[in-house]
Amino acid sequence: MSEDRDTVERLLEGRLPWPQLHALISGYKGRDRFAMFRRFQQERVSWSDPIILPLTPKLFIVDAGNRGVVKCECGHVFGDWRGNWKEDARIRIRRTAEELEDLFGPLACDPDWMEIREFICPGCASLLEVEAAVPGYPFTHDFLPDLATFYREWLEEEPPEWASEAEATR
Amino acid sequence: MSTTLGSRLHEIGSVREQLLRSETLLRETGHYCGIEELRLKAADPLRYERLHRNILSAVIEARETGRRISGSPAVREMGEFLVTLFTAEGDAIALSTGIMLHVHTTSQFIKWMLRNDYETDPGIASGDVFANNDPFIGDVQNADVLDVIPFFHDGTLIGWIGAVSHVPDVGGVEPGGEPSVSSDRFGEGLFLCAEKVGHDDRFAKTHIIRCERNLRDPALWILDEKAKLSACLEVREKVGEIIERYGVDYYLEATREFIEEQRRGQLAKVRTALVPGRYRATGHYAHLMAGQRHVMPQAAVDLLYALPVEVRVEADGKLVLDLEGMPEAGPHSSNCTPTGIGGGLFLALMQLTAHDGKVNHGAWAATDLELPRGSLVNPDDEKVGTATGWAVLLPTFGAVARCFARGFYARGFVEEVFLLAANAGFQEWGGRDQHGRRFGGPNFETGAVGSGARGFMDGIDTGYALFNPEGDMGSVETWEQQFPILYLGRRNLTDSGGAGTYRGGVAFAPVIKVHGSAEVVLGIKETSGRVFDQTGVFGGYPSPDAHRYVIVRGSNFAERAGSHAPLPHQLFGEDGTVEVLTRLDGDAEVGHGQLANALVAHDDVVAHSYGSSGGFGDPLDRDPEAVVRDVRDGAVSAARAYSMYGVVLAGRQPAALDADATARRRSELRARRLTESRPAREWVAEERERVVAGDFIPAVRELYRSVARVSERFSAEFRRFWSLPADWEMDG
Repeated sequence: MSEDRDTVERLLEGRLPWPQLHALISGYKGRDRFAMFRRFQQERVSWSDPIILPLTPKLFIVDAGNRGVVKCECGHVFGDWRGNWKEDARIRIRRTAEELEDLFGPLACDPDWMEIREFICPGCASLLEVEAAVPGYPFTHDFLPDLATFYREWLEEEPPEWASEAEATR
Repeated sequence: MSTTLGSRLHEIGSVREQLLRSETLLRETGHYCGIEELRLKAADPLRYERLHRNILSAVIEARETGRRISGSPAVREMGEFLVTLFTAEGDAIALSTGIMLHVHTTSQFIKWMLRNDYETDPGIASGDVFANNDPFIGDVQNADVLDVIPFFHDGTLIGWIGAVSHVPDVGGVEPGGEPSVSSDRFGEGLFLCAEKVGHDDRFAKTHIIRCERNLRDPALWILDEKAKLSACLEVREKVGEIIERYGVDYYLEATREFIEEQRRGQLAKVRTALVPGRYRATGHYAHLMAGQRHVMPQAAVDLLYALPVEVRVEADGKLVLDLEGMPEAGPHSSNCTPTGIGGGLFLALMQLTAHDGKVNHGAWAATDLELPRGSLVNPDDEKVGTATGWAVLLPTFGAVARCFARGFYARGFVEEVFLLAANAGFQEWGGRDQHGRRFGGPNFETGAVGSGARGFMDGIDTGYALFNPEGDMGSVETWEQQFPILYLGRRNLTDSGGAGTYRGGVAFAPVIKVHGSAEVVLGIKETSGRVFDQTGVFGGYPSPDAHRYVIVRGSNFAERAGSHAPLPHQLFGEDGTVEVLTRLDGDAEVGHGQLANALVAHDDVVAHSYGSSGGFGDPLDRDPEAVVRDVRDGAVSAARAYSMYGVVLAGRQPAALDADATARRRSELRARRLTESRPAREWVAEERERVVAGDFIPAVRELYRSVARVSERFSAEFRRFWSLPADWEMDG
């Protein structure tokens, strides 16, 4: 199964028929997939900051000149790439029995035991992440990539200068 | 030369010394058995690959033989069976399909025997049979019984062959394989602790007598034993023939090269398909036993467990699974041992990264485990209960799957994103069956529930189980033959998949009438009430799987059936009401979470739900036509299509899309997200007051206190997140 650009684009848009999907799943993973993926995402967004790593279908770590930030596809900037972007999002908490039953029906969780946290982009109102969490549980920092290792050792490319600053700023 | 050590390892002394040497070589050279080059592969790749295929065929074929000897539906129909060929040191060379977690637990069982000098006492001879179901030696729960035989060639121990099955009943305080009412090991039935149970290719008479006298349904256990031993002997015979063709030196060196090749393959796959860094996710489990009858006093409590997972992907492609932050072990049956967690990691790797190439111990050799001592996943008291250890294991590895999903996605391999699943519920029956015989065992229909979403399409509807991805629920007639029950219905559960751009697969709900017996015990294990044990990613929601069960005792089923009145066939009727309650009269019991040791009898009716897993992506980005198809198929209700997906239907029979109204509805839902939300930092500052006041139910406060007792790192992160002083502790 060749990983040509058209195939990868149709895969990302959910338009690839099952026989081709199956071949793609079973086949060897192409080394240039990341480059194609990054290009695909870059062409999809309206801003020009270079995408360094897609984090989710909506969020990207981008090179904003002298620093790396988490940015939504709509252009909203969440802050330093090493921090937890959730702290800069808007949040809607579902923790009454009525709210939870409205969302989930009769097999909803019990608000004394678990709350639903919806993390929303202030710019485009996209639902970026949903946490099902015990009340009082800290936000989960889902993913902190090691960009310097990824670029330098895995992709054999030079990472942005700021990517080597390991410690989170907050 | 290190390149040939693989074939000469047996020359260095006892097998125990070989094991130590092998571990040292991996540590010092970074290569399995110090194999720096795949010499045989390079010299004649076709011969090398042919040997691997011959061995693989032998173990797969032996599994099928074994399944046909077993009398248990769990093995015959669901495939709760596994056959593996190991090296002399207990490293897996090749495995069949089936319950793959036990490749690792069996490996640990063999190594435990070697470390405890079984070569001297009780001795290891050709024809011996060893059995184990002790999770602190190598297992998750004692219902999974591991049998191994040593494999000799010309008087030298050159390997082991293992087979595993899930047996129906373990002779515990509660019938079935998962006695969940015990507060410790001592109510959990028969434990075989790395015991020699046979010689001369036969089980010892004393072992059979022990099984006959200590189990409710000894015939099924003993048939499983025969199935496993037969499978092992078949592999021994076939691999013996293979060795005759290839030569023993070639066999020994090549099989170790297979493992080194897979170790490198795992590292390469990680470097190809993931991104280095730190991934985190949290699963959940609620042990709801307070107030339940017939539960041992220490276990009759409500406990809430958050199960945080950290996966670190290191520069060389090594994976580290770090479970710091797990609460402490508890007085119940849901503790999980390190061998069980190690097996869970093997199971996850088999489905996420190591499913191609040569599947064997090599994948495991490219990982590390960090399990906090004293926690639920590494109890320091080896007498704790483990019979329902899967209840913790499955949500933990559901969380691991979400970590991998982020890595695959970031790299662009969306076709690899699969959220697996978590707990689903485990129905067990016991007492006297319809023929008056004593019995106990699981209804393994939980072997095919809903899976989590994939990164490119929906999850699997009623067709997946994390513990055995073959995904088979068995036919209704099998379970009706096995147990004193009749199905009134078994239907997909509308709205049970986690919502998302791609939704989780739907699960199902059975409605079952007890039939032909006045003395039946029912339990529903490994399931959480009041919490979801999984969630979605990237804006996908959890599956609504907070478990509920309904029992109607002394029902008027016979009278309604006789008068042709409507009977209950599904958990929820079209109007959302609970059908067994609206269509039957009797004493109703409605409960959350696990059900333990409940007495039921002829004409009592039970209904409950199985779980699914989370969705992928924002539900408002789901193709509206896909939602319409879901409504037509009964996967999603019209109400949820409107409230969760913002899809407005133009008609109901059949459902059709009102595209303009859907666009308006989605705009409205997006606008409400902004008006009904607030800045997260603002919320955290305000919520801090609640944390300081400890304004939570006792189970939540106890969770934080429990984690603090075994994890300083979690406590420090907790205090940092909520801006609390360094000496702050949650009050009891």
